[in-house]
This record gives sequence, structure tokens and C-alpha cells, in this order.
Amino acid sequence: MTGTIAIAPVVVALVAGTTTLLARRWPRLQQTVSIGSALAYAYSVALLVRTVVFAPDGAAIAYQLGGWHAPFGITLVADALAVFMLAMTAIVAVYAVIFSVRFIEAANQRVYYHPLFHFLLLGVTGAFLTGDLFNLFVWFEVMLMASYVFVSFYGNSEHTAAAVRYVVLNVVGSALMLLGIGGLYATTGTLNMADMAQQLAQPGVDIRPVVGLSAFVFVTFALKAGLAPFQFWVPSAYRSAPIPIVAIFVGATKKVGIYAIIRLYFTVFGTANVTVAAPGITGRSPLVLLAPVLLTVGVLSVLVGGFGAVTRDSLDGLFAYSSIGQLGFVVIPLGIAAAAPSESLRQSGILAALVFALHHALTKSVLFFSTGVIRDATGTTRLSELGGIGKRSPAFAGVFLVGGLSLIGIPPLAGFFGKLFVFNAAARQFAAATSGDIAATGSALAILLVLLLGAVLTVLYSTRAWMGSVWGHETEAVAMGTIDRVEVTVLATLAVVVVVVGVGFEPVYHFADAAARAAIDTEAYTEAVGVGGG
Amino acid sequence: MDLGFWPLAIAIGLPFVAAAGMPRLYPLVGERIGYLGAAVAAVSFGLLGTQIGTEGSVSRPWIPSLDVAVRLHADGLALLFALLASGIGILIFAYATSYMHGKPDLGRFYMALLAFMGSVLGVALAADLLLLFLFWELTSVCSFVLIGYHTEDAESQYSARMAMVITVGGGLCLLVGILFVAIAAETAGIGAFDLAAILERNDAVRVALEETGLFTPALVLLVIAAAAKSAQVPLYFWLPRAMVAPTPVSAFLHSATMVKVGVYALGRVRPLFHGTEWTSLVATLGIATMAVGALLAVLARDIKELLAYSTASHLGLMVAAFGFRSRYGAEAGVFHLLNHALFKAALFLVAGVIAHEAGTRHIDELGGLRHDLPVTAVITALATLSMAGIPPFSGFYSKEILFEATWETAQTGGGVAWLYPAAAVFASVFTVLYSLRFLWLFFGDRPDGLGSIHRAPGALVVPPAVLAGALLLVSVRPSAVIDLIVNDAARATAVGVVDIHAGIPRHVSGPVVMSVITVSAGFACFPFYTEIRGILEGVSTATARVHPTTVYRSTLGTVDRTSRLVRSRVQNGLIRTYVWWLLLSACALTAAGYASTAVGIPAPAMAETPVAVVLVLSVAVVAAIAVASAESHVTGVLTLGILGFMIAIFYILGSGADLALTQLVVETLLLLIFLLVLEEIPEFYGELKRGRALRDAALSVVVGTTAFVSVLLAAPERGADPTPTAVFYVTNAVPEGGGANVVNVILTDFRAFDTLGESIVVIIAALSVLVLLTMRDRGETQ
Repeated sequence: MTGTIAIAPVVVALVAGTTTLLARRWPRLQQTVSIGSALAYAYSVALLVRTVVFAPDGAAIAYQLGGWHAPFGITLVADALAVFMLAMTAIVAVYAVIFSVRFIEAANQRVYYHPLFHFLLLGVTGAFLTGDLFNLFVWFEVMLMASYVFVSFYGNSEHTAAAVRYVVLNVVGSALMLLGIGGLYATTGTLNMADMAQQLAQPGVDIRPVVGLSAFVFVTFALKAGLAPFQFWVPSAYRSAPIPIVAIFVGATKKVGIYAIIRLYFTVFGTANVTVAAPGITGRSPLVLLAPVLLTVGVLSVLVGGFGAVTRDSLDGLFAYSSIGQLGFVVIPLGIAAAAPSESLRQSGILAALVFALHHALTKSVLFFSTGVIRDATGTTRLSELGGIGKRSPAFAGVFLVGGLSLIGIPPLAGFFGKLFVFNAAARQFAAATSGDIAATGSALAILLVLLLGAVLTVLYSTRAWMGSVWGHETEAVAMGTIDRVEVTVLATLAVVVVVVGVGFEPVYHFADAAARAAIDTEAYTEAVGVGGG
Repeated sequence: MDLGFWPLAIAIGLPFVAAAGMPRLYPLVGERIGYLGAAVAAVSFGLLGTQIGTEGSVSRPWIPSLDVAVRLHADGLALLFALLASGIGILIFAYATSYMHGKPDLGRFYMALLAFMGSVLGVALAADLLLLFLFWELTSVCSFVLIGYHTEDAESQYSARMAMVITVGGGLCLLVGILFVAIAAETAGIGAFDLAAILERNDAVRVALEETGLFTPALVLLVIAAAAKSAQVPLYFWLPRAMVAPTPVSAFLHSATMVKVGVYALGRVRPLFHGTEWTSLVATLGIATMAVGALLAVLARDIKELLAYSTASHLGLMVAAFGFRSRYGAEAGVFHLLNHALFKAALFLVAGVIAHEAGTRHIDELGGLRHDLPVTAVITALATLSMAGIPPFSGFYSKEILFEATWETAQTGGGVAWLYPAAAVFASVFTVLYSLRFLWLFFGDRPDGLGSIHRAPGALVVPPAVLAGALLLVSVRPSAVIDLIVNDAARATAVGVVDIHAGIPRHVSGPVVMSVITVSAGFACFPFYTEIRGILEGVSTATARVHPTTVYRSTLGTVDRTSRLVRSRVQNGLIRTYVWWLLLSACALTAAGYASTAVGIPAPAMAETPVAVVLVLSVAVVAAIAVASAESHVTGVLTLGILGFMIAIFYILGSGADLALTQLVVETLLLLIFLLVLEEIPEFYGELKRGRALRDAALSVVVGTTAFVSVLLAAPERGADPTPTAVFYVTNAVPEGGGANVVNVILTDFRAFDTLGESIVVIIAALSVLVLLTMRDRGETQ
């Protein structure tokens, strides 16, 4: 069965979680198993990537769990979009484990850190692979539970407070999601996403409530992705969770929200047979209504995140706000894609979102791990207590510079291509709008201007982070500490990945482009699941 | 000779390779590593020199899918700029080796300087829009690192960040402008980023730009980008601040090369954009900068500041020249690019010598230096007279062509176009003034406070002397240089035929009169320099509020205030606020979804609802209100229990026995757990404000209504057929699943994967209890 490989990453993560739990009496063994599992996970994802995308006959594959064929059982679907997200997760996960072993206090690692880590990874993996709406909810719960433990992991009052905020918002989100899923199931009679897409596209069936019901699910996804106005949990949760976990939050769990929006709206709801008419917008797809919502949410995120980051005193706080803003850069092209009049613009919008998401996962990981290195050496992440690290460790400064420049979007780093594609989508929308009415031109122009403002804010806070920590007078905290060379070496390899993704962009483009095409190719998706063709 | 890929690629790549090796090499070689930099620059210079006279493009693929390639293009303009960068580079590295003696962090310094040189060569030779952007941004980054060379100095940091914000901000405009051009190129059927092809078929691209309505946006964006990079009004203010960098950096980046990148880019795209809009935007911008820069240079008190403003002014001259459509515009721009690079680099190096030997850069504290620095005095004389545009020095020739360009434009345009020559003369008078003032550092009286001055070491004097030699060559034999490269360069940017004539004019004409006025007014005003400066200071103080520096500072202040507002107002730490927004957004979006699809809201079938159900649910509603308004925790928990049990009864009435059982278990456990933890919870939370309570009540009604409407909409019609899935489950539960209870079979077989996930949730929940107990108050370290 060729489909079996689709479940491989799930199995690896599940086994990893269980084995590390069993091995907890032997810390060394546990760490080895943990790292080995992460590598095995990356290997399974690599196999999947090859099978689905890079093999000559690469195509989406599905695995029908328990032999119950779709739409009756639960189906896992590994298409280009899902494996793109998995690949991103796998890279961050490997580094996060290695970094955890080095960075987290040995005694703390023994407190179920590793099993929880792999269960978190399991939740993320399941969410990317599942082709079933309720099953998606289940993996969301797994992710939520595991992240909740990590936010409160250190157990002081500020961590507990952050965890309470996190859990309250997400439980409300879960309730909304459940309500939405229930409604969608009641309306379409199916939970299988491919089947649902077919039901929605059928003529003559009244599926109008779907547009409203899907909003409940959307809100939960936006909450997971930390988009404004659902970003409230982000800064405190990021400051509380262990730093390697924050990398997973940034690189994987937030991206689950983005993935779910793309998957549900573009693959499943995109072809729905429904007329949407509101002041200023009319069309024959739920995407018409999604477009202004995504654009608003994206613009708000860019502004809240960008402005919020500029004066934060702690590096982790600064990068937390930054990731709110950067997710705005992911969502705006999605909004452009949703509003797109043409297939090609739709695809370039999604492509932009995916490339930016990949860059953000890698670059922010570099920056958060760098923050970890700094904390490890100096015991603080406050810019007011830092300075002169560049003189202590030029190698670290080099890594941090790569991260900062990629965040700003300097070529040829990964961040440049993220920025390039996002601006490309916006520029194309503007070009398409210049022949349209004033409102369309105005909104396209406004989006371009917000993106420009967001990018300038990025320069402002990135330079501030750089000057406050790497430049400046050496503070006492820096003078007393030593930068861990092993951590810097590990980090340097990740910085190299950021460079390589940019310099060797051709295959990355090929991959992201395949993912973007998969996102809007409902037919291929349903065919892979096996409900296609009626 | 044919154009080769490798000579160009090596010329660009070698500096980067050397830069990468610097941190390793520096500890081995020491300070003399600067000579290695000079050697690298010499190799690049030599390689480029072999290409003089060639023209064409070469390329190697980079990202074929995007049609992005390492496309390099050589023509007169590209080679002139690249030769200037590498040639001056040789001198700068040689100079720096002596100048930076004993300074810290030289490995990093030379690394950035080399990478910078490679980037400028890249900008000069790139024929791919993305490649051009890459090198463009790298020059900004190198500039940031070099301006911030004194990393501990707050002023260096401020200036470095300012330069980064302005130039990278300009870079963003360039990016969008490039994308607009690329879209048009695609429409015209040309490879999107292939600059050489775009320029070759500029008419087609231009038509496409105009048809898509992108002509003006692209033009404006590119001009903003160039203005940010090349310090045009009002974005010039970062340039004087960049002078905190060591002098070799100022001479190399901030006078001779990097700041010219913007001018160069304008020259490159000139054939694509030329026209009325182009002239009115670019020429006006340039002339304005020329005037403002010259005035500010007169105001300056520091020799490097004077030179910085003068640089802005001369960049304005080049921009203006490129702005004029006639052949004179192309000629003046290109020729001045060369002349300015030579005299300004020389003057910066001289400024370095002065600072090094006299220990001050303050203009009023310096004078009569010719006695102590005779050779430097000669160099300065050559360079300042060229800068002032005094015949027969090189600067005169290019400025005279600019005058011709303004004169011609005024004659053809008439009316306001006469402001061009007027403003050009006005700016040039001040250029003469500050040039003479700089010269006066050597020839004026020696102030009393000035201490003893050492003779400058040869290593510091030779580089500017070489530049002065080149200036002399251009001054005496302009035709030689013009024939060698300048004419070719002008042709690359010109719209028509070019034919540069440089020499002392023999007939009286408009431009000649302009020059006569400029020089004589400049000399006539010089005795009143202090008075003029006083007047300008008055004007400057009166307009302080609109100075770009002030605007920059206050904008950053506003950004910071907004940032704090985000922290205090948006992220206020109150769960109430957070949940409020979450629920409100969810309801609003759902309502929008229902409204936009015009779903009719079905009336609830009240008549068919059994009385028992109505009764039970009414009790539940009452209980819910009681929970919200409960005075104490105990009452709240108990009433919550009533609510839960009512729901269980509702399930029983709806024949969901298993659901009811689950609900009862959950409710009982909840009640017990709540009662156990109540002890630990504070009795009293504080006063609830009336307005807030009302707001929350309103929101809860909205949430309830939305959920209610959603359930009504989603509920299947009475008597509807079961779905295929339901039919499948019922039919297959016994034969395939082996269980008589369909729900059980769903949970353990059909959808067992869900159950697996939920079991993991339970495991994590158990682990979370253990983690919370173990880690309690442990913190990040033990």
C-alpha cells in the first residue's frame, strides 16, 4: 500500500512520545531517544516530500485509517500543501529538540518535557495530515493541551498567568470550533473534507448557512495563528514557554492555523456553490467574504505586531510581537488570493503566504534560539541589561545578524523571498485594480502602503534588537556570562539553512508552488482521498 | 574583445570571497591585511579594465522558474561606475591601512569594506532586476555596519540605524517599483526581471507600463528609492550623520560610490522613463537638492559635514542632469559622476589627513595649513577648484554641460522652466563659496588656538595625490578620458546621440553667461562668508521645525508612543477584554456570513416542542442567570450544577441516554472539584462596574443569539432522510464493526483515530497535573 507512508510521521511522533515517557528514568537515554525520534520524524517527512512532490510521478497520497474508506472513516491526506507544512515543522522540530537538550536544565527536562514535546509535535502533524474536520479538532486539542503545559511549565506566577490567558482563550476557541464543525456536519452530512467540498459544489443543495457557520471555525484558526484581534495570548505565552518550544509555536502551531485557513477555505469551501452578496462585495464563493476579513485581520496584525515590537525591552517579547506582525504578512497575501479575480493571482497569493510562512518559521527560530543563547549566557533577555555581545562572540553576532537581516528581508536570505512574493502579490493586485474602480485601487494601494509600513517597522525593531544586544557597551550581565559554543554551532547550521533556502531557492520555489497549486486544486484533493468522480 | 562572464563575475565575486576570509586572515596577517584589500580591488579593477569598449550581457541561471538569473551587463556606464568603485577602492584600502592603524575590530572593518565594494560592482554590472536589488540592499547593510563601526558609541548607533531605515526603506520602494516594471515586462512578453532586455525594448515595456496604469507609480517609487540612497531632498539627512564612520568609509561609501548607486540607477532606467513626468520629477528634485545641499554646506562647521552636504548637492546636480531629456543631460550626469568621484574622494581623504594631523575638524579652528601640509594643500587646491567648477578644472566642464541642459530645457519649455537655470546658478554660487572656504583652511590665516601639526605620512598623502593626478589629467586632457569611456557611458543612458565637448568656451552663450555669473558672484561673496552664514543660520533656526531630521526624530517618537499604547491599551492583560473581542468577532463574522448569503431564519417549531422540554430548558436558563449573578462562589457552583443537570435531563428527554450519563458524571465531578478548590480562591474579586456588567450582558445575549440561530439553521428538517454516513454506520456496525451500539462502534472502530487523539489528550492532562505540581515555583532554573 503506497498510502501507508502518509501516516508515518504521525506514528513516529506517537511512538516518540510514548518511548520518551517510558524512558524517563534514564535521562541520557531519554534525550538520545528524543533526538533520534526527531531525526526519524524528519526522515519520514523527507520520504513523504519525495513521494508527493519531487518524485517524477509525485502525487497526493491518502491513507484510510482502519480500512474504513472515505467518507465514512478518517482519512489522512498527504498532498503538497500538507507536506510543505510538515517539512517546515520537521526542520524546526529537529533543531528544537537538539536545542532543548542543551538549553533546558537537565532536571527540568526530566519533568515530562520530552514526551510532551513529541505529543505537541504529534498534534501538529495530525492537524496537517488529517482530511477530516472533526479529527482536525482532536489534533487541535492535543496541541492545545500540550502547549498549555509548556506555557505554564516553569510554574512561577507570571507563567501561570500566561497559561490561564492562553487556556481561557483557547477553550473558548475550541467551543466555537466545535459549534462550527457541528453545524457544518449537520448542513453537509459529512466530516470528510474532500466529501464536504463535493457536497458544497453540488448544484441545487441549500448550503447557504455554511458561510456563516465556517466563521466559527475561522475564528479558532485565527486564534491559533495569533492574528489580531485574536493575538492577545501571544506575547505572554511566548515569554513564558521554554524557548525551544516557542520555536515550535512559531514554526509549527501558528502555521497550523494558517494551514487550516488555506485548506478549508481554498480547498474545501472555495468551490462551494453559493452566492455571497454584501455591500461592496458580490461573488459566487465563500472566499468573497473571506477576502475582506483576511485583509482586515492581516492589516491589524501587521500594525499591532509591528508597533508593539518597537519598544519592547525584552528580546523574546520583541520577537513575540514581531511574529504577530509577520503572520499579518502571511495573511494579507491570502486575502489577496481570496479576492483574486484570476486563478494565477490566487495561486501567487497562496504561494506568497507559504514562502513567507517558511521564512518566518526558519528565521524566527534562529532569532528565538539566539535569544535562548543570550539568556543562557547572561541570565536575561532584557535589552536594557544587554550590550556588547558582538565583542564577546563575533560568531554569535554573525548568526544573529543573519537572523535579523532575514527578518528585514535582505537578499539573498530566505526572508527576502518571503518579502518578494508578498509584495509581488500586492503589486499584482494593484496592477489588476488600476483598471477597476476607485475603491478597488484605493484598497490595493492601502494594502501596499501597510505592507511598506510593516516592513519599515521591522527594520526599526530589528535594528533596535541588534544594537541593544550585540552593539553597545558590554554590560555586567554580558561580562559575567559565557556564550555556549555548542549552542552557537548548532545555531550556525540553522542560519546556514536560512541562507541556503535563499541562495538555492529554485527547489524551494518548486515545492511551494506545488503546495500552492494543491491548495486550490480541489479536484486533485478529492481524487486522492477517493471520493472524487461521484 | 568579447565580453566574458567570468571576468565580470570574478570582479564582483572576489571581494566577497576575500571578505568571507577576513575574520580568519586578520589574526594571522594583522593590520597589513588592508593591502590585501587593495590587491583585491586592483584585481577587480584590472579585470574590468580589460572589458573597456565591450558591450553586451552574459548570464548564468539562478532561479529558472522565476526567470531570475545572474545576468551581467557591461557597457560604458556600467564599466565607468565599476572602475570608479574598484579604482578608488584600491586607494581607500591603501589609505585605510595607515589611517586605521591601532584601531580595534579591523577584521570586521575590512570584511564590510570588501563586501561593500563587491556589492557596488554588483549594482554596476547587474542586468537582472532582482540581482540589482540584492546588491543594492547589500550596500545598505555594509553601510550600516560601517557607520556603526564604533559600536559602543550612541551617536554611531543612532546614525547607523538612521541610514539603515532610510536606505532600506527606500529599498522597499525600489522592490515594489521593480515588481511593477516586471509586471509590465511580462505583459510585453519579456523575461520579467531581465533588465538588459527591458532596456533594449524599452518602448514596448513603456507602453505596457502605461497600459497597466503602472507608469507613474513605478516612476515615483524608483525615484524615491534613488532619492533615499543618493541623499536627495528631503531624504538627505542621513548622509551628514553617516560621517561618524571612519574617514576612509566616508570617502568610499558616502561620497564616491554608494551614494551614487541611486544616481546610477536613475541613469540606467532613464531610457525607459524619460519624458515630461520624468523631467518634472527628477530634474526638479535634483536641482532642489543641489541648492539645499549647497546652502547647508555653507552652514556647516565641521569639515566632514561640509563635504557631506556638498556631496548631497553634487548628487543633486547629477540627478538633475539625468532628469533633463536632452543629450546634455546624459553627458553632464555621467561626466560629473566621474569628476565628483575624483575630487570628493580626494577631499575626504584630505579631511582625514587634517583630522589626523591637526586633531580637529572644526572649520573655525583651522587655517593656514599650507605651511604644515604643503603637498596636501596642492591636492586640495586642485580638488576644490574642480568642485567649485572654476575653469579650466574638470568640474567646470561637467557643470557647464549641466548649464547647457538647463538652458536648453528653459528655452524649449519657457515659463517656469527658466527656474531651472536660475536655481542651478543660485546653487552653484554657494558651491563656489563653500569650496573656497574649504580651500581657505590651507590658505587663510592660522588661528591662534591651533596646535602644532605633524607632517602627514606618505601613506596618507599618496592616495589623494593619485586622485589629484587623475583630476589634473581630466582637466588638462578631457578629450582623452571622454573618448576612452565617458562618451560610451553617456550613450548608455542617453535617448539620442551624444557627443561630449569639454573645453573652455570661445563664444558667448546663455550657459557661458551662467558660468560667468556663478564664478564672479561666488568670488565676490566670499569676503562676506561669515555674514552669509549668519543669515543662513537665522533661516535655519526659523525653519527648524520642518527640518527632515526633526521630522524623522518626531516620527520615531510617535512610533514609540504608539508602541507603548499597544502595550497598555491593547495588551492590557485582562482576560475579560481578550475574550470580549474574541466572542464579538466570532459573532460579527458569523452574522456577516448569514447576512451576506441571505439565509432565512427558520422559526423554531414551538408548537411541537414537548412541555417537559420547555420546562427543563427554562429552569436551565434561570440557573444560568443565577450563576452569573451569584453572590458567592458556593451559590455559583451549585446553580451551575443545576444548569448541568437540566441539560442531562434534556438529553434523557431526547432519548440520548449515554449522553445523559456522561453529562451526569461530568457534572458531579465538576461540582466536587469546584467545592474542593473553592477554599483556595479569594472570596471577593472587587466591584463590578455597572457599565461593564451591562456590556458583558449585551455580549452574552449576542453570543447566545448567534449560537441559537446557528443551531436553527443547521438542524436537519424534521423527517429528513438520514445522511449516507449515518446509514453506513447503522448498516455496518454489527456485520463489520461487531458491535450492537453504533456510538460505541464509531468511537472504537469507524473513528477510532479520534479516540486515539482524545486518549492522548487525557494522557497529556495527567502529565500536566504532574508537571504543574513538580515545577511549582521552580522557575527556569532550580
